[in-house]
Amino acid sequence: LSKDLLPGPYRRTPEERAAAAKKYNMRVEDYQTYPDDGFGYGDYPKLPDKSLHERDPWYQWDQQDMRHNWGEPMHWDFDMYIRNRVDTSPTPVPWHIMRKHFLIFLSTMLIMFGLGGIYPTYRPVGPKQYPFNDLYLERGGDPNKDPPVVVHYEI
Amino acid sequence: MEITLLLNTSMLLTLTIILTPTLLPLLSKTYRNSPTTITRTVKAAFLTSLVPMSLFTYCNTESITSSWEWKFITNFKIPLSFKMDQYSMMFFPIALFVTWSILQFATWYMAMEPHITKFFSYLLMFLIAMLTLTIANNMFLLFIGWEGVGIMSFLLIGWWHGRAEANTAALQAVLYNRIGDIGLILNMAWLASTTNSWEIQLSHSPQTPILPLLGLILAATGKSAQFGLHPWLPAAMEGPTPVSALLHSSTMVVAGIFLLIRTHPILTTNQTALTTCLCLGALSTLFAAICALTQNDIKKIIAFSTSSQLGLMMVTIGLDLPQLAFLHISTHAFFKAMLFLCSGSIIHCLGGEQDIRKMGGLQKTLPTTTSCLTIGNLALMGTPFLAGFYSKDLIIENLNTSYVNTWALLLTLLATTFTATYSLRMTLLVQTGSTRIPTLTPMNENNPMASNPITRLATGSILAGLLISSIIPPTKTPPMTMPITTKTTAIIITILGIILALELSSMTHTLTQPKQGTYSNFSSTLGYFNPLTHRSSSTKLLNNGQQIAQNLIDSSWYKKMGPEGLADLQQTTAKITTTLHSGLIKTYLGSFALSILITALLTH
Repeated sequence: LSKDLLPGPYRRTPEERAAAAKKYNMRVEDYQTYPDDGFGYGDYPKLPDKSLHERDPWYQWDQQDMRHNWGEPMHWDFDMYIRNRVDTSPTPVPWHIMRKHFLIFLSTMLIMFGLGGIYPTYRPVGPKQYPFNDLYLERGGDPNKDPPVVVHYEI
Repeated sequence: MEITLLLNTSMLLTLTIILTPTLLPLLSKTYRNSPTTITRTVKAAFLTSLVPMSLFTYCNTESITSSWEWKFITNFKIPLSFKMDQYSMMFFPIALFVTWSILQFATWYMAMEPHITKFFSYLLMFLIAMLTLTIANNMFLLFIGWEGVGIMSFLLIGWWHGRAEANTAALQAVLYNRIGDIGLILNMAWLASTTNSWEIQLSHSPQTPILPLLGLILAATGKSAQFGLHPWLPAAMEGPTPVSALLHSSTMVVAGIFLLIRTHPILTTNQTALTTCLCLGALSTLFAAICALTQNDIKKIIAFSTSSQLGLMMVTIGLDLPQLAFLHISTHAFFKAMLFLCSGSIIHCLGGEQDIRKMGGLQKTLPTTTSCLTIGNLALMGTPFLAGFYSKDLIIENLNTSYVNTWALLLTLLATTFTATYSLRMTLLVQTGSTRIPTLTPMNENNPMASNPITRLATGSILAGLLISSIIPPTKTPPMTMPITTKTTAIIITILGIILALELSSMTHTLTQPKQGTYSNFSSTLGYFNPLTHRSSSTKLLNNGQQIAQNLIDSSWYKKMGPEGLADLQQTTAKITTTLHSGLIKTYLGSFALSILITALLTH
C-alpha cells in the first residue's frame, strides 16, 4: 500500500476531503468525519451506526458472513456491529413503548409480591381448645363457681 | 458392610463404563469410537446404575466415599468425595435412561452429519460432567461438573457454527451462565472462609447469613434460566434437537435446582432466602408460560415449557420441599425429553419445518409420534396418574396448604392454566385440523432407531411417576387433609386452561383478531426483555470498552502520563520562571524583599 492509500490526518480543505472520500471509495456527499479533538480518528469516515443485521441477508455479498463487499469502507466500531454482537435493526414495537410496558410489568409484579407478603395465604387456624372447660381449674379458677363455657370452634 | 461395598463398587463401575469411550481410543491403536458404541456404552451404564438404585430402594444404603485428596494447601482439604444418597442414586438411572434414548434417536436424526462421532463424544462429555455434578459431595467437584456442563452446552448449541444465530445463542448461554457462576463462587468463598471445607454438609448454626444464599440463588437463576437470566434457554434451541432434548430439558437446566436441593440444609435456616426462591420461581413460571402462548416455533414452545417447569421447581424449593423438587425433576425429564424427540421426528419428517402454522393433520401420517406427543403433553399438564401428576399435583397441594405469599400462589396457578393452554394449542395446531404442509412431503415412522426411543420414553412418562413416588418415602409429612376444592385445584385450573385453549381456537376459526395488540406483542416478543437488555447493555459495554482502550489508555497513559504531560509541566514551569528573568531592577528588588521577609518570618 502506498502512502496515499493509508488513512491520514484530519483533512481541512475541500480538495483534501474530496481526495480522502475517493480514497475510501465513498461519495463526497456521504463522507463525514469524526471531529478533530485529538483522539486519533484522523480522516477516517464516520459511517452511520448501523449493525450488519440491517443489511440484506439475501443479497450475494462478496463476504456473506460479514455482509460486506470488497472495497467498502468498514465502520470504526465494526467489531461491535457484526452479527454476533449489537443489533440495531428497528424493532416492531418502538423502544419507549417496550421500555414502558416492561417496567409496568416488572413494577406491578414487585408491588404485588410485596402485597402478597403482607397478606399471605394460610390454612385457617384458631386458638387451641383445651379440655375441661379450657383448663378452668388448672388455671386457678374457683372450684365453687360454675366455669364459663369457652368454645373455640363451631359445629 | 458388604452391601455398602457393593453400592460403592457398582456406582464407580457405572462411572467407569461412561468414561470408557474417552479412554479406549487412547489405549488402543486401532479402536475408534462410533455412535453405536457410545449408545451401547450408555445403555450398559444405565443397566449397571440400576444396581445402586435397587440397593437404595430395598436396603436403604447410602454412602459417602472419599478417596485421593488434592494436597494443595495443608489445612484445607479438597478430597475426591462422592455422595451416594437418594438424589444421586435416583438421578443416575433416570439420566442414563433418557440419555440412552436420546443417543439412539440421534443416530437417526444426525445421520447426515459428517462429524457425527464428534457430536456423540460431546454428548458423552456432557453426560460425564453432569454425573460428576450429581454425585459430588464437595463444592469443588460440583463446580467442575457445573463448568463442564456449561462449556459442553456452548459447544453443542453452536454445533452448526457456520450459522451466526447459533453462535450468538451459544455466546448468550455461556455469558448468562457465567453471571450465575459469580453467585456460585461467592458461595464457595463464604463456605471456605467460614467452615474451612467445601463439603456439602448439614448446617451447624441456626442461621446462615443471606449473602451466600443469594449467591446460590443467583447460580440457580443463571443455570436454570429463572426470570432475569432466562433469555439463553429459548435461544439455545438453535442447537440440534438431541442437544435440546438432553441438555435444555432434562439434565443441564436442572443443575441449578439440583444445587439448591443439595445445599438445602443451609437454605432451610433462612426464611428470606426461601421466600426469594418462591417469588422468583413464581415469576419465572408465569413469565415463561405467557411467552409460550404466542410462539410459533415448536421447539420454542417446548423450551418455554421447560422454563416454566423450572420455575415450578424453584417454587417447590421455596416451599422447603427439596424431595418434591427432585421428584419433579425426575418425572419432568421423561416427558420433556420425549416431547423434544417427538418434535425432532416431526421436524425431520417435514424436511426441516419448525413452524406450527405450517403443520397440521399429522395424526394420520405419523400416528406413533403424535400419540407420544399427546401423552407427553398430558403428562406435562398433570393428567391424573400419568408421570407429571405425582409431582405437579403434590406441589400445587403443598402450595395451597402452606403459609405462602398470595401473589406467588396466584401466579403459579395461573401458570398451570397457561401450561394447559399452550400445550393444547401446540397439539391442536400440529396434529389435528386440516393439513398445511407442502403436498409432496414423504414422511414415515419406519425407522426403529427413531420410534423406539420415543415409545420407551412414553412408557417412562406413564409409569415413572408411580414408580418413583412409591419407592422413595417422603421425608416431610405431606398435607393429608384439605377441602375438596383445594385437593382438586390443579385439575380444575388445568381444565379451565383447556377450555380457554378450545375457546381461543374456535375464535380463530370464526372471528378475525387484529394482527398486533398490546398483550400479544408483549407475549410474542418475550416481554421485550431481550432487545431491552441485550442491546442497551452490550452497546454501553462495547462503546465504553472502546473509549477506555482508545482514549483512556492511549491518550492518558501514553500521552498525558508520558511525553505530552511532561512537556506541559515543563512549559508551565518555564512560563513561570521566565517572568522572573525580565531584566528589570524592580523585579530583582522585589525578589530581595521577598527572601528577606521569608527569612525574617522563619527565624522569628
